[in-house]
This record gives sequence, structure tokens and C-alpha cells, in this order.
Amino acid sequence: MPTLEIEGRTFDVDEDGFLQDPDLWNEEVAALFAKTEGIQEMTDEHWKVVHYLRNYYLEFNIAPMIRKVCKDTGFKLKKIYELFPSGPAKGACKVAGLPKPTGCV
Amino acid sequence: MTDTPEKVWPAQESEGPEKLGAAEERQWPLKPEFTSEMLAEMEELLPGKINRVVATSLAGCIHCGMCSDSCHYSVSIPEDKTLVPAYKADRFRKWYKYRYDWMAKIFPSFVGARPLTKDLAEDMFDKLFGGCTMCRRCTYNCPMGVDYGMMVRAARSMMQQVGRCPQNLQDTVDTHYNHGNNMAVPQDEFIETIQWIEEELQDEEGCENFTIPLDKHGAKFFLTLNPREPKYYPLTIQATAKVLNAAGVDFTISSRYWDLTNYALFNGNDADARLFSKWQAEDVKRLGCEYLLSGECGHGYRALRWELPNWLGGVTFKITSVMELMAKLIQDGVLKLDKSVHADKCFTYHDSCNIARSGGILEEPRTVIRACADNFVEMEHNRERSYCCGGGGGALAMSEFSKRRIAAGKIKADEIRATGANVVLQSCHNCTDQLIEICGHYKIDAKVMNLAELVAPALVL
Repeated sequence: MPTLEIEGRTFDVDEDGFLQDPDLWNEEVAALFAKTEGIQEMTDEHWKVVHYLRNYYLEFNIAPMIRKVCKDTGFKLKKIYELFPSGPAKGACKVAGLPKPTGCV
Repeated sequence: MTDTPEKVWPAQESEGPEKLGAAEERQWPLKPEFTSEMLAEMEELLPGKINRVVATSLAGCIHCGMCSDSCHYSVSIPEDKTLVPAYKADRFRKWYKYRYDWMAKIFPSFVGARPLTKDLAEDMFDKLFGGCTMCRRCTYNCPMGVDYGMMVRAARSMMQQVGRCPQNLQDTVDTHYNHGNNMAVPQDEFIETIQWIEEELQDEEGCENFTIPLDKHGAKFFLTLNPREPKYYPLTIQATAKVLNAAGVDFTISSRYWDLTNYALFNGNDADARLFSKWQAEDVKRLGCEYLLSGECGHGYRALRWELPNWLGGVTFKITSVMELMAKLIQDGVLKLDKSVHADKCFTYHDSCNIARSGGILEEPRTVIRACADNFVEMEHNRERSYCCGGGGGALAMSEFSKRRIAAGKIKADEIRATGANVVLQSCHNCTDQLIEICGHYKIDAKVMNLAELVAPALVL
């Protein structure tokens, strides 16, 4: 299984860098993964999105639609893309410790 | 002439979300490796997979080596000779010859025949799932006309049938089967998303009266989308809708089978491919549309335009794409465009394999681009000669082979860099992600955009 080493810590990930064991996730892990997605500093706004994704995933076992993310966090679409430059599917979901989505991503 | 719907569908406002997809949920059982039972099953499946294209492609190779320069894997990773198309295809061909070549009965090694063993099957899995994007550039360069893409699909189909398929690729097909779209977007959330994007569009200057009609009976064009658009990237829907509205095109989006993808093209499962096509075709008939309009998507366009009529034995509606429609609207003078909005950028265009080489859409994208921008540079290999970006054939859904996918994108990255462009245009969602990844990996400072995103901001409303 591939591993990802960030600042001396090693994680089991899939080949696309998604965390393999969702139970390993915590805020410290999220902050480390954020660096691999081009986010140097996790702000309150980042956390709001990440926690939303995380909680939604734990409840429904799937990532939410971007519509839900915008509606429930109150952020405009543009803001989400600014917060997560690699996009909501690969960037935000990866930081939130969600598995790689199905489909064209 | 369009068929009248056999059944009157309920208006969505008064009903709850409809369960789309197959009636019963399914998860295709996958195995971590080939067993002797699986190999025996493949032996039984082989005769049924040998149609004319597959047989001539298996028998026709003369091992001339022309294909070695044509494949993005073997060009980008030249040190690995096992990535040359003829070698990869031989993983299948050896077995075929063992079964069907009369010479193989007498002297198997003389014709390179080998029985299907676990090792050969694993090698076939590695090379034909993980080492080929079915881009058919080798086919284009083959003097014998070996249709490598269709042959690879036949091999994948047998492996998938017995339970050997990359997990995420199969999950994508299963999700489509279970939910009617490959990202499990529920109908009510889809409708809400489209209405939200319509509002966002109406907030744009000059777009106050623009609409995105859902389930409009008798609309001329039945617009289809890639599920990642409503799920994660709805700005491409907004851009496409803006262009269609600006041109006064009569279109609609279905709240039912709006997903244009068909990942069964990639895993080779014909029954699923046919089922997804059938849902799509019946929904076009339900709304009585004249055209099934593919959004910007490579394999989706090919699956709709060129494979769907085969899978279904013909259809009563016409099939076209947003790429072709936008070019026609520009040529007819319906769209007014202002190039100055893009004056600060330098563009290049990546021809997606399924759109260009396997789809025949070569000049339309150029018509669109030249109408929107002056600064446009072609890559060294373009149109039907374009190299695959590395993301085709379902490669993005095969995490197992992601490292090789990025390595195989080097030739495309080199050609992008050589153009000096800071925007790579293309019309495919798999290409989008792969191009973003290779631009990042090979340190090219370029944005990736689709054609609607180029046209929408340039519209004079």
C-alpha cells in the first residue's frame, strides 16, 4: 500500500493520496493533508468547510453536493474554490479524510 | 419525427424524488487476483468476444514496431519496453493464438502462443487496464489497421466479467447502475442544483432572463451533463447554459437521465453499457427532443454519438455535442463575441482522443477558439494526431495505476510547455483533471478550461 509522508508522519493512502483509514483522521492530520493541497494555513473558513464535509460523510457515507456545501456553510461557490485551489472533490474532500469519489475525478 | 411518450410522467413539483437506476442495488464482486476457476471462465467467454474487429486485430499484427512511437506510455516511459502497444496487446494475443492459431497446435512458441495462466492473466490486467487508455493513437499509425482500443476493451470485458477490474472503475459503473448516474446524485438535489445555477446565471450582467429549463417537453436539444458538474463543478453548467441562452437555443435538462457518461465503455461490460444507453434514449424520447446533446465530455460524447446507436440497434433522434453546436452558432453568426476579454492569455487546445481521433470533431474547436481569442498556438501533435493526455480509458478511476498515469503524461506536458500557452483548452472532464495534474507535476504554469468557459465570458449580450 502506498504511503504519504508529511513532516515526518507516515499515512497509508491510495495512489491518489486519499487517506485509507477514515478513523485515523483528526484536525492535525487534516492540517498536514492541507499542505499537500496547496493550503499553507488552515483558517476558520477552511475548518468550517472541512468539518461540514466530514460530518456529512459520517452521517450519509457519501460526499455532499456542492450545492449543500454552499447552502449550509453560507459560502459562495467562488469562495470554496478560493479556499481549496484543487477543487472541492480532490482538495476539500481529501483534507476532510473522505475516500476518492466515484466518477470522472 | 419523434416518438410520443408511452407513459405520462408525473410533474416533479408534486412528487418526491424518483428512484432512478436499476430496481435492485448491486455491487459487482471483485477478486484480488486470478484463480484457476476465473481463468476457466475466461476460456469459456473468449469465443463470444471474437467479432470481426477483434479477430482481425488479434491476427493482423506483424510486429513492425510502428506503434512504439505512437503510444504516450512508450514515448513518455521509453525505458520500459513492456509498454509498447504490440507487447501489451500480445498479453491477449498469445492466449488467442494458443486457442485459435493452427500453427500453435504444432509449434506454439513459433507463433508466440501461450496458454492462459495466472501470470499471463495478471500481466494482461496490468497492461490492458493499467497501461492503455484505449486512445487508439497506435491504431491510427498501424499499417495493418489493428484496432487496439476495441481489442483492449474485449480483453477488459472478460477480466471484468470474472471479477477482475480496478475497484474505483467498477464502483463508478456500479454507482451508475444503482443510481442512474455515476456519482449517486439524488434527483431532488439535482433539481435544486440546477435551479440554484439558474439563479446564479441570472445574477450575471445581461442574463436576467436566462433560464435552464428542466424536463421541458418538445425542446429541440436534450442537454446532458457529466455528474461531476452538478456534484462539484457547476460553473461549467452555468457557462454552457449562458452560451445556449445567448444564442436562443431551445434546450432542456432532464431531471432523470441527464448523465452522459458511460463507464461501461471502459470496463467492457456490454450489458451495462446497453442498459445505461437505454435509459438515456428512453428519456430523450420521453421529452420528445429532436437532438440528444452531449455536453463537453470525451468518452461520454463517443459513448453517446458513436456507440449508443450500436448498443441499441439504432435510435430515432439525432445526436450531437455542445462542441459542434457552439461552432455552428458561431459560423451562423448567432453568437456575438468580444475577443478582448481574453487578450491577456495565450491558449492551446488539447484534442481529447474520444472527441478527435475516435469522434471526428477536429475543426469545430478551432472555429470556437479563433472566434474568442487571437493568441492561439497548436501543439506539435494536434487533431487526430494528438497524444492522449494519459487520463483516458478510465485511467483516472484506477488509483492502482496513478503513478504510471502521471509518468505517461510527460509527452503531453512537454508539448504544452513548448507552446508557451498559459491556458490549456479541452472538452473533457477526465482530460481536465489529468491536465491539471500533469501541469502541476511537470511544473507548467497553465490553467485548464473547457470551451464553454472560454466562450461564456466573451459573449456580447
